[in-house]
Amino acid sequence: MRVVIAEDDALLREGLSLLLKSEGFDVIAAVDNADDFLAVLDDADAAVLDVRMPPTFTNEGLQAAREARRRRPGFPVLVLSAYVEDRYAGELLSEGAAGLGYLLKERVGKVAEFTDTLRRVAGGATVMDPEVISQLMSRRGASDPISTLTPREREVLGLMAEGLDNLSIGARLVVTETAVSKHIGNIFQKLQLSTMDRGHRRVLAVLAYLRS
Amino acid sequence: MVRTTVFLMVLAAPSKVDLAIPTAWALLRQTEWMITTRLRRWWRALAYLALELLASIISMGLFMVGAVLTPLLLFSGGWLIAPRAVAVLRWWTTKARLRVARYSGVPLAAEYIPIPKNPSFEERLRLVFSRTTGRDSLWLVAHGLLVPIITLLCIGLPLSALNSLLIPSYWYLLPPDQPVSSLYPVTSWDGAAWMVLVGVGYAAVSWWLIPAAAMGLTWIQARILALPSKSSLVERVTALTASRAAALDAHAAELRRIERDLHDGAQNRLVGVVMMLGLAERTLEKNPEDALPHVRRAQQAATEALAGLRTAVHDIHPPILDELGLEGALSALTGRSAIPCLLTLTELHRVPAALESASYFIIAEALTNANKYSAATEVTVAVSRGQGSSGSTDKLLISVEDNGRGGAFERPGGGLAGIRRRTAAFEGVVEFDSPAGGPTTVRVELPCGW
Repeated sequence: MRVVIAEDDALLREGLSLLLKSEGFDVIAAVDNADDFLAVLDDADAAVLDVRMPPTFTNEGLQAAREARRRRPGFPVLVLSAYVEDRYAGELLSEGAAGLGYLLKERVGKVAEFTDTLRRVAGGATVMDPEVISQLMSRRGASDPISTLTPREREVLGLMAEGLDNLSIGARLVVTETAVSKHIGNIFQKLQLSTMDRGHRRVLAVLAYLRS
Repeated sequence: MVRTTVFLMVLAAPSKVDLAIPTAWALLRQTEWMITTRLRRWWRALAYLALELLASIISMGLFMVGAVLTPLLLFSGGWLIAPRAVAVLRWWTTKARLRVARYSGVPLAAEYIPIPKNPSFEERLRLVFSRTTGRDSLWLVAHGLLVPIITLLCIGLPLSALNSLLIPSYWYLLPPDQPVSSLYPVTSWDGAAWMVLVGVGYAAVSWWLIPAAAMGLTWIQARILALPSKSSLVERVTALTASRAAALDAHAAELRRIERDLHDGAQNRLVGVVMMLGLAERTLEKNPEDALPHVRRAQQAATEALAGLRTAVHDIHPPILDELGLEGALSALTGRSAIPCLLTLTELHRVPAALESASYFIIAEALTNANKYSAATEVTVAVSRGQGSSGSTDKLLISVEDNGRGGAFERPGGGLAGIRRRTAAFEGVVEFDSPAGGPTTVRVELPCGW
């Protein structure tokens, strides 16, 4: 898989590139700003972007991610950030959630999980950092349908937002896959998502979760 | 005065003999004292009135220039010079306050809202139509138009008295068709004799009138020039609201800077540590002998993270300020400068902690700028406590000057902008001068009186 890295911090840029190469990724470019990233966009299969980059060090990475996905709809992007901001997550997801990831930077330390996430994002999954999920959880008001979910259902929804499938969710929570399906059915019902479009519902559930 | 004393001594000489005399002696001493002090007071009042006369001529000139120029300039570029005109007016009224205070012995405080460096149109309007400007203008008109008349009259009186007393000695020298004519034409010895009486009358009136006029003048000027009126309080509240907003902005900007320092500095290094350790872990699993470089890089990144944290913490509040106080901290700061730095400190007394840290950072920023851009061979830093350029309140005065190449300019987010931000938070004034070819001077005044 051809990956482009955009990260302004030299140490992290080199480290990421070293890490991905050693894990079998083909790092075609490691750049330090959004423009250089967009220039090599067409040659890449996926991108790892830092949110804050020059010149203003605010959310250049997010802008670049949206621009990339405007040019190449569905282009897989994994956004890394020093801190999570659910508003950023909402912004990212507002124009389609497939092939999107939003993670805290330190997740790169768990090399196996990180590369796994990158592969899943490249495969079209939506992955949100658990931190985003817990931030959202703590902010929900009583009128929100999310607040009607049981703690276990929230956990399941959180793991869905992390882009895991039923089997992996079952493994994480140490329950059977059937139990997971039952929880997910309840979640869909409580969030009033139709039973028709099965494939999208997971994404829709996550979106319901992320949009306040 | 000397003559009076001699005269009294002569009178007092037999007093040792007669018992009734000591009371008379005491009475005489008392009278002598009264006369000399009255005389001294009278003389002082006369000098004051003469000084006011001279000053009022300048006031009249300023008033006329203002009266002619204001209508013209309102329609041309008047707004451009308005702040300068207000500055001149403030300077002149401040001088008047000092004169009044020196004569009456009662200090006259004046609180002015600082004139912004590059005022917007709205700020110019507010400046021109402010209560203080109105008050100063009223004073200028009164001073320029009334004071010359009053003072000329008062100073004229003793001169007339002198003239009248001297008339008997010279009236006959004048041609009969052009006699000396003060109150009435003096054409005979009789008339001249009466003139002596008139002179005494003049002298008596001036003896009483001159101190009274001086008192009256100081009183009325003090009434016009003094603070605080209710509306100037309103003005002050407006200014304070603005400075509070600036303080909050400065505070928010400060927090943003700290946040960025931590996120992009220390935190990124720590992410690096985690990443390198992750890499090392993977390498250990696959081929352990290649893991060492990753561990070394992790260690390197951790060391950098620590250094970053240290800098960030130092920039929040330099611990040296607590340890050594402002003076000591500044000595340490200037001692670290790559360009030789001369520090002049006068007695600073106690400075509020917030001001200490603001002054420390202002000087640090200015020195960093000088070290980075000026190519100077010497920097002088001076910190003192005193009165600023505008008004009379207690100020902390900072100046940083280098002999470098000059041409420095203010960039958003740059060192100078930082200095301005920190100064604005304290209602201070920044003056920045850096002509091409140098020298570069940064002057800051921070009010201390709170």
